[in-house]
Amino acid sequence: MSVFSEYKKNLMNAAHNERIRLALSRGIASYRSNVNNALEKFPHTVEMAEEVRAIKARSIIDMEKLTQQACEAIESNKGKAYIARTAADALNIIGDLVGTDKLIVKGKSMTSEEIGLREYLEEKGNEVYETDLGEFIIQKLNSNPMHILSPAIHIPKEDVAALFSKITGEELPPDDIGKMVETARKLLREKYFEADIGMSGANVVAADTGTLVLIENEGNINLATGAPPVHIALVGMEKLVPTLGDAFKVAEVTWRYANYTMPSYVSLISGPSKTGDIEKVTTYGAQGPKEFHVVFLDDGRTELAKDPILRQALYCLRCGGCLYECPVFAVTAGKFGDKYFTGVGAVWAAIISESIEKAASIAYTCLMCGRCKVRCPMQIDVPAMMVELKKHLIEGEGDTAAE
Amino acid sequence: MANKKLVPPGLTYLADNITGRDNILGATKKEGAKWAKDIAFSENNDTIFFAGCGYQYSSELDTLMSLIRTIDKSPISTEMTMRLAGLQRKLGFDAGSIYRKVMTRGGEADALPLISAVKVLEKIGIKPGYLGEEEPCCGGLLYYIGMHKEFTEHAKSAYTRLKSKGVKKIIGIVPSCTFTLRNLLPDAVGENDIEVKHFCEVVADNISSLKLRFPEKVKVTYHDPCQLARSLGLIDEPRRILGAIENVELVEPEWTKGEFATCCGGGGGFEAVFPELSNILAVNRAKELIETGAEIIITHCPGCIMQLESGLKEMKVDNIKVLDLAQVVAMAMEV
Repeated sequence: MSVFSEYKKNLMNAAHNERIRLALSRGIASYRSNVNNALEKFPHTVEMAEEVRAIKARSIIDMEKLTQQACEAIESNKGKAYIARTAADALNIIGDLVGTDKLIVKGKSMTSEEIGLREYLEEKGNEVYETDLGEFIIQKLNSNPMHILSPAIHIPKEDVAALFSKITGEELPPDDIGKMVETARKLLREKYFEADIGMSGANVVAADTGTLVLIENEGNINLATGAPPVHIALVGMEKLVPTLGDAFKVAEVTWRYANYTMPSYVSLISGPSKTGDIEKVTTYGAQGPKEFHVVFLDDGRTELAKDPILRQALYCLRCGGCLYECPVFAVTAGKFGDKYFTGVGAVWAAIISESIEKAASIAYTCLMCGRCKVRCPMQIDVPAMMVELKKHLIEGEGDTAAE
Repeated sequence: MANKKLVPPGLTYLADNITGRDNILGATKKEGAKWAKDIAFSENNDTIFFAGCGYQYSSELDTLMSLIRTIDKSPISTEMTMRLAGLQRKLGFDAGSIYRKVMTRGGEADALPLISAVKVLEKIGIKPGYLGEEEPCCGGLLYYIGMHKEFTEHAKSAYTRLKSKGVKKIIGIVPSCTFTLRNLLPDAVGENDIEVKHFCEVVADNISSLKLRFPEKVKVTYHDPCQLARSLGLIDEPRRILGAIENVELVEPEWTKGEFATCCGGGGGFEAVFPELSNILAVNRAKELIETGAEIIITHCPGCIMQLESGLKEMKVDNIKVLDLAQVVAMAMEV
């Protein structure tokens, strides 16, 4: 079967799955009402988004320089910084840091999905716990995330109840979401303190201070990056912005368009834990991690940044708003995509996937209706990117991204 | 790396029709111009009415799409769509016209939006020319599917043909053709001396000169076509027109209207590649629209009309009509 036929078959299977459609219709309704509420309550966000778009546009052009600068800042904070040019490089660097037989607690990270980090570490004989509730459900179901922020968006509560009942051997009522959340808390709580290593991504990184900004609500990232003795972060180079001030703006716009007025937690992490409380002698490894490692991932990003139209994919804040506006995503969820979803996902597939056919299949699934662009705080012109990507794919003109 | 094999089969078929037969369906040009046989157009082509493939060949499109859908649901699916196209080319056999006869749908009803639009223009004092069989296809689909060399070539030829007919101003009605003529053609050709407006802009600008009253009191909803609302930015105009019609009450979905309107599932040649999925999306959009309690769905694009009709049919809803805005205005003029 050709790549396209197989892709289409999976897409149509999802489209005929009533469970996916049910879960998504609930998710979409709730997103629309929440995001409108968040934007009404904090109306300055819309203007701030324009400012952030300009910050991102500048930063993407300067990505290489900003990465070097961030590495220096992190090193001077007594952390360790690395630049991985390919997915394989990143896996090797992290694989060497981790070793085998370790217990790892992990925050949700699309970048780690991109390079298949969890599977890689598991193969090397480590035990890895996804601690984001959605991601935990996905891991236990042996499924793939279907939304960048809500990975289990396609799974209705009834199915979660059934899954948790199976794991705990205790019958969970299909309607009691509170009970499901409590079950996950019990299953994961001790792991944070037993873990050898905590892992995370980052929503945005300030190059001047080497600070990772992590946005979350569950508290799992706080624990996973705070409790274990070692913290390893994997961050795409497109997440870098020049200053801490820029990073705050990016973060606020991200969570607002991700439908939150204010998330419960925003962590700023710049180095390992330290104290100067005894005779002002700075000593590393206080209550938090003793070691702090940041791996910056290129994996085609610097190439993509050279294309004036396709580079918009790198502006993406991963707020996930576009996905709720996509009519195809509403019935197929993440099957419209590969590692990343919908139209933007096609551009990512072109740079990170081995298969050009895959990128083409995703690109031709985009309706080019443009509603995602209306929602997008960065006004990413997905229809224009699709036209450009298809042109690259079939004509191979001045090809950078699709090679 | 350059590889046309990456273009899904349904699209190469439509693209070949544009480059080979100068219309999206591979029909003969005579079929397209038939709707205008009883209309007296101006001999002067300063301002022309651009009818577009969508409306002119809508009965062909409709029957061809039901054929493609049937094939798509069968196990042989995609590859077969391609074979159908090859067969049609080789034998010179026109699937559209054959199936049109089978389904006994005349061209008359499908041409109503066009005939209505010309009547409305006449009422506001505009008597445009019409190029008939010589109207070029806008070629927009070639652009959208990534065949830019073919599009540029086609655009140059279309532009030259328009210029040679003395065209200075175009009033378009198909949203995507209008956007292509207004934005993509000048970019490809490097010249920009034909003014392009959409029908609803022209009507909205002249709305005060029309006295409009719909034959009976109706609740209507309006579906924004993607290209009209998000590419051409014409969101307010259709609503201003509807607001000026006595007896018409506009009821709209809470979220999915204007720039946030949901696509009917027929965008960018999507329906030719994913016909079954396209049908699911048509049903979803039709549902959003009928939940408003409207008795008539009004839209302003031949693709949307086809999609929404098939969505309603799939849901077995037969008491709700889908009408083009031009038709509604013409109906309201006659009272």
